[in-house]
Amino acid sequence: MIDPVQLFAQIFNLLPPPLQEIVRFLYSEPFIKAAIFPGALFSTVLGIFAVWFERKLFARVSLRVGPLHVGKVSGILQLIADAVKFLSKERIIPEGVNKPLFVLMPALALVLSLLLYAFLPFGAGWIIFPSDIGLLLFFLVAALTPVPIVLAGYASRSKYPFIGMSRMALQLFAYEIPLFLALLGVVLAAGTLNLEKIVEAQVAVPLAVTQVIGFIVFMVTMLAETERLPFDIPTAEGEIVFGWQTEYSGVYFLMIQLAMFEKVLAFSFLAAIIYLGGWIGPPIPGVPETISAPFWVILKAIGIFTLVALLRGVYPRLTIEKVLDLGWKYLIPLGLINLIITAALPLLGDVIRL
Amino acid sequence: MTTSPETALWTLTLYALLTIVAPPVFYLVSVLLAPKPRRRSRVKTMPFESGQAPIPARAAPFPIEYFPYVIIYVAYAVITVIAFIVVLDMISASQNILRGLIILVVLALASVYASSLLPAIKQRLERGRA
Repeated sequence: MIDPVQLFAQIFNLLPPPLQEIVRFLYSEPFIKAAIFPGALFSTVLGIFAVWFERKLFARVSLRVGPLHVGKVSGILQLIADAVKFLSKERIIPEGVNKPLFVLMPALALVLSLLLYAFLPFGAGWIIFPSDIGLLLFFLVAALTPVPIVLAGYASRSKYPFIGMSRMALQLFAYEIPLFLALLGVVLAAGTLNLEKIVEAQVAVPLAVTQVIGFIVFMVTMLAETERLPFDIPTAEGEIVFGWQTEYSGVYFLMIQLAMFEKVLAFSFLAAIIYLGGWIGPPIPGVPETISAPFWVILKAIGIFTLVALLRGVYPRLTIEKVLDLGWKYLIPLGLINLIITAALPLLGDVIRL
Repeated sequence: MTTSPETALWTLTLYALLTIVAPPVFYLVSVLLAPKPRRRSRVKTMPFESGQAPIPARAAPFPIEYFPYVIIYVAYAVITVIAFIVVLDMISASQNILRGLIILVVLALASVYASSLLPAIKQRLERGRA
C-alpha cells in the first residue's frame, strides 16, 4: 500500500529546485485564493453559469424551453458555444469612434466587475483581501464601474449609444446615494465596516429582518445599478436598439456582457452576505465548515439572483421620469428613515429597560 | 484562519494581475479565431441606423429636462458624507447615539421636504411642450 502523501513528497523531491519553487507557489494559499476560489476561476465559471441559468429561467417564465440541444443536460454547453461564436467574429470598429476609448472600455468594465470579488467573504477566512473597511472598498469599486459604461457610450459617437449613455448617467446619479444610505444602515446595525464581522453580527437574526426598509431600498438600487429590468432603460432593446452597447460586437460585446453579469452576481453575493446572514446556516453532517460556509453563501446568492432574473420575466420597463422620481423622491428619504429607525431602536430598548 | 496584512495584499495583487490579464486573453483568442476581411467595406463600419445611411447629426442632445437632478446630486452627495460621518461617530461610542440621531432626523426631514417640493418631471415635460 503506497501512501499518496508520501508518493507526492517523493515526486516533489525529484523535481529540480526551480520547479519545486513553482509548485510551492501554485500550492500556496495566496495563489489558490486568487486563482481558484474565490478568485478568477470561480468568478468566471459562475458568470458563465449565471448567463445560462438566467436564459433558462426566463424561458421557463414565458413557457418556453430555452437552450436545449448543445450539451447533454438542458443545453448547458450553449454558453460555451455562444462565447466561441463571439470570439470568432470579425472585430469591427465603426467609423468616427474614439478608437482608444472604444477598445479599452469593455476591458476596463470587465476588470472592475471582477475586482468586486476581492472584497467578498465566502466564509471565515475565505476572502481575497480581508479588510476592516471591506464594505467601503466594495462600494468604492462598485461606484467606479459606471465610468467605463458612460465613456463607452461617449466613445461610440453615435445616436443610440449617446441616448443610452445619458440615461445611464442620470440613473446612476439618482441611485448611488440611496445605495450608500442602505449600506450605512447595515454599518450602523452591525457596528463595523468589516464584512466578516457584519456576518458574525447576524448570528441571532439576519439583518434583512431588522432592516426591512433598508433591504428593500438596497434591492431596488441594486436592480438600477446593474441595469436589470425594470430599470434597464440605458440598454432598452426595441426602444433605442441596444443603448450604449449598440456599436459593440464580437469580442468587445462578450466582455461587456460578462462584465454586466459579474456585477449582478457580485451584488447578489453582497446582499446574501450583509442581509441574509452570509455563511450562517444549519451545519451539514459530515461536511467540514470550510466547505459548508461557501455553500451557504452561494446558495443564498443564487436565491437573490433568481429573484432578480424572475423580475425580468414579470415586470415591464419603467420610463426614465418614473425611474428618476422613484430614486430622488422616495428612496433617499426612505434610506434616511431606515437609518433613524436603526439608531433609535437600541435607545428605545434602554428606555424600556429603565 | 487569520492572514497577515502582507499576505492579504499579495493575494489582492495576484488577483488584480489575473483580472487585468483576462481581457487581453479574450482579445488574443479573438485574433486567432476571427476571420480577416479580404477587402474593407464601408457598410460594415457605418454607425448603426437600421441599415439606412446614417444621418450626419450624430450627437443627440442631452435631455436638458432632467438637468436639475444632476444639480441636486451635488447637495445630496454632501448630505451623504455627513450621514456617513454621523454613523461612524455613532458606532464609535454609545453615548454619541442621541446627538447623531438628532442630526439624522434633521437630514431626513429636510429630504422629505425637498422631495415634496420637487415637481414631478412629467409636469415639467408637459409645461415645456406648451
